[in-house]
Amino acid sequence: MATTMERGASRTRPARRLPTAWLGLVPFFAFTFLFIIAPVLYLVAGSFLNNEGQTTLQNYVDLTSENTQRSFLLSIEISVVTAIAGGIGGFLLAYAVIAGGLPRVLRTAMMTFCGVASNFAGVPLALAFLFTIGQLGIITVLLKNFGIDPYASGFTIYSKVGLEIVYLYFQLPLMVLIIAPAIDGLKPEWREAAENMGASSYDYWRRVALPILMPTILGSMILLFGNAFGAYATAYQLTSGTLPIVPVIIGAQIRGDVLHNPGLGYAMAMGMVVVMAVSIGLYTLLQRRAERWRR
Amino acid sequence: MTKHTFARPLTVIAALVFVVAACGGGATPSPSASAPASAAPPASAPASAPGSAPASAAAGPSQELIDAAKAEGNLTTIALPHDWCNYEEALQSFKDKYGIAINELNPLGSSGDEIEAIKANQNNPGPQAPDVVDVGFSFGEDNKDLFQPYKVATWDSIPEAAKSADGIWYGDYYGVMSFTTNKAIVANPPKDWADLLKPEYKGQVSMDGDPRTSNQAIQAVYASALANGGSLDNAQPGLDFWKKVVDAGNFVPVDANPGTIVQGATPIALRWSYNGLAQRDETAGNPEIDVTVPASGRFGGVYVQAISKYAPHPNAAKLWMEHLYSDEGQLMWLKGYCNPIRYDDMVERGVVPADLAAKLPDSTGAVFPTPDQLKAATDLITKGWDSTVGVDVVEPPQ
Amino acid sequence: MKRRRTTVAWWLVFLLGLLYFFIPLYATLDFSMRAKPPFAAYTNSFADPRFLESLLYSFVVGILTVVASLALIVPTAYWVHLKVPRARPIVEFVTLLPFVIPAIVLVFGLIRIYKEPPLPLTHTDLGSNALLVFAYVVLSLPYMYRAVDVGLRAIDIRTLTEAAQSMGAGWATILLRIILPNIRVALLSGAFLTVAIVIGEFTIASYLARPAFGPYLSLLGNSKAYEPAAVAVISFALTWLAMLIIAAIGRSSRTRVEIGGAH
Repeated sequence: MATTMERGASRTRPARRLPTAWLGLVPFFAFTFLFIIAPVLYLVAGSFLNNEGQTTLQNYVDLTSENTQRSFLLSIEISVVTAIAGGIGGFLLAYAVIAGGLPRVLRTAMMTFCGVASNFAGVPLALAFLFTIGQLGIITVLLKNFGIDPYASGFTIYSKVGLEIVYLYFQLPLMVLIIAPAIDGLKPEWREAAENMGASSYDYWRRVALPILMPTILGSMILLFGNAFGAYATAYQLTSGTLPIVPVIIGAQIRGDVLHNPGLGYAMAMGMVVVMAVSIGLYTLLQRRAERWRR
Repeated sequence: MTKHTFARPLTVIAALVFVVAACGGGATPSPSASAPASAAPPASAPASAPGSAPASAAAGPSQELIDAAKAEGNLTTIALPHDWCNYEEALQSFKDKYGIAINELNPLGSSGDEIEAIKANQNNPGPQAPDVVDVGFSFGEDNKDLFQPYKVATWDSIPEAAKSADGIWYGDYYGVMSFTTNKAIVANPPKDWADLLKPEYKGQVSMDGDPRTSNQAIQAVYASALANGGSLDNAQPGLDFWKKVVDAGNFVPVDANPGTIVQGATPIALRWSYNGLAQRDETAGNPEIDVTVPASGRFGGVYVQAISKYAPHPNAAKLWMEHLYSDEGQLMWLKGYCNPIRYDDMVERGVVPADLAAKLPDSTGAVFPTPDQLKAATDLITKGWDSTVGVDVVEPPQ
Repeated sequence: MKRRRTTVAWWLVFLLGLLYFFIPLYATLDFSMRAKPPFAAYTNSFADPRFLESLLYSFVVGILTVVASLALIVPTAYWVHLKVPRARPIVEFVTLLPFVIPAIVLVFGLIRIYKEPPLPLTHTDLGSNALLVFAYVVLSLPYMYRAVDVGLRAIDIRTLTEAAQSMGAGWATILLRIILPNIRVALLSGAFLTVAIVIGEFTIASYLARPAFGPYLSLLGNSKAYEPAAVAVISFALTWLAMLIIAAIGRSSRTRVEIGGAH
């Protein structure tokens, strides 16, 4: 009965109804305009104004200044490093609990833990690492007992390296969560078939598993990149805004700290949007490729 | 058949939640629903707000003022940590005495943040706009056009040098720059400025605030000038000194506060004596906090109060000032180890308990800069930090 | 033989991950116990009225955000699936925007626009709260949309709708009593993620001067010594517990409604 109705309905739907059907989406688009598009337009407009309210391209010119360049490069570097490290580490961890021969319960524990950890940021995360690798952190103290003093050789948690170590705490779980379905999708029959044809583990990885997984892995790493690039709270809490990564600098400009140049802040925000847009674009492309294997 | 839907409990929850949110609004039990009605925006009103009552002489706030303030129902403060000069008691006693709710903004803000908050909310009578500020001395004079004048009942007992003649800003308390040390980490606290360069303090020396926006940090740099060949007229040696601290690897670029001092991020911090002493009491030995006023180069700093010209609750703001400048208010600050500005007057009249007076730190020889000297030094330090010191601070040695 | 060697390798990977994740948590716990007496940090945290007030505030805002999100997304996704499949790429693009535009940028734009007429939301407490919820709806849009989308794809909307319509149901009934219950499990994870994001969020709440948990946590971390460590441990434990509960619910409930057949 249901199928007859369905066929009947599709045959008689007139083309004229299309515009009316779109009306149902009005609330959504209205909301989008009010709370996503409008603020962005405001910022775009603001990036073309200077402190006196006149239109200018100066802010964009200032984007090429050395300090701003340094900011962007620092942010990009931290994001790339944590995306790659998080990507590889997360993939290994995910594979370990899903297909590595470990007990099932560890998988559930790991997945739920990752759900929590991927959102662990800001004050609690900064504190947790302070207590671990800070001046008096338990690892620092442990190493000192063995005669190694990381702080004496110049390491400090308030540096780019320190921040990277901290960022991994939410990058690794994010990777685990994203890549898990893809690893699930690796059918055991493929492995068996490969082994039947005399392939070694290395061959299996090189010829079967990795090529299938690669678009998803790369796509996920890009997502990790975006995640790190936009992170503000943790970095601010840890370094009180002294490490000049882009979100912190934007925050400072916008709040009116120090140089009080909101126009530049907006321009930098636009720069940030461009970086993120490119990464999301790449991610979507890679997602399309990865989906070939899921069908 | 269909399973029991969860739509029904969901609608109930949603309804409940809307009701709670509508009644609650915020965490403070303020009549927020009526707030929009009563805030007939004084946002554009210049100096004197209509309907405010002048305070009568020695008796404290007039009944008119109290009533007008209560009608407003809310006071918005900013950057008042509870352990700073015992503000916790000042805030709570105000709430208890007058039943006016207090909306506390950004307790960790610096003087610069406070000024920015006023500027950014000139046309916004909402809860993001501060009514009153408590800022460093030079911040008061520099931003006169953002404040509205008000002379508290006890105006005459405030020393001349500590207030502006037109009532735009007025000194509230002062303290001395000191070293606050976490003795559990640093067994041997520094005693003087030169000690800060010693290798045993590697990566341990910090300031409370950013020396480009925070009064406390700026004055720390100013103070260090005194012991390093500078003077109240010449703050440049202070900048040079801090460059040396950074180069020695002793500086940790983290904003020091009670949390970071105990947690170990900033074991040695340059803070006002009252902040250090308050923390010493709070931790009660766990860990032990040492507060030392440097042997040479003793520097006193004054803070000032002011009411924002765009204050959404001008009467509540004035009542708050009356509260702070009454004898009880001043004594509350004294309990927090701050020297209240009316101290001398109160001592003369015998209203200061002996035990409270005894708790103040020894600050003999401390010097206080004049407004002009302060302005020059603040300008020099805020602009010079980045060029003299800043670049290195931002990227610590790898 | 080879299998066992490889499994050992994966155990090693797992253990390394375990160490990296748990040592900081243990360090936090250890530090929180240094208060005297040992559990003082925990009792003090609960004794502070602002802790529970801000937690409750953020929790309520989180629930409101979920409700508002669902009210916006479920009908939209449903409509896209059913009537306007061509709109799907556009809608999906929109839901990716909150990823592309970082929170701090968005917040700033929102505050600047809604600070002045014609829509001065920041002028009142209620307006500020509403703005906060809207901002959070935007932030959680990618997650909620994906959750709803996954849920909708798993059920046969067309058949369900037509069956309901043939029994005289209107749109509201269809959405509330047929669609929502069937995507319940998918929604749960999106909802949970949203509440978690809202509770931990700092930037927007502090700019809007809202008494939320994020700013409270920041204040705590800067003014008190042991309490922030205690609060961090508590919130982490509670969150993990909640996730486990949701995972359990997800496994034990049936996600489909039987339709068709002889009923």
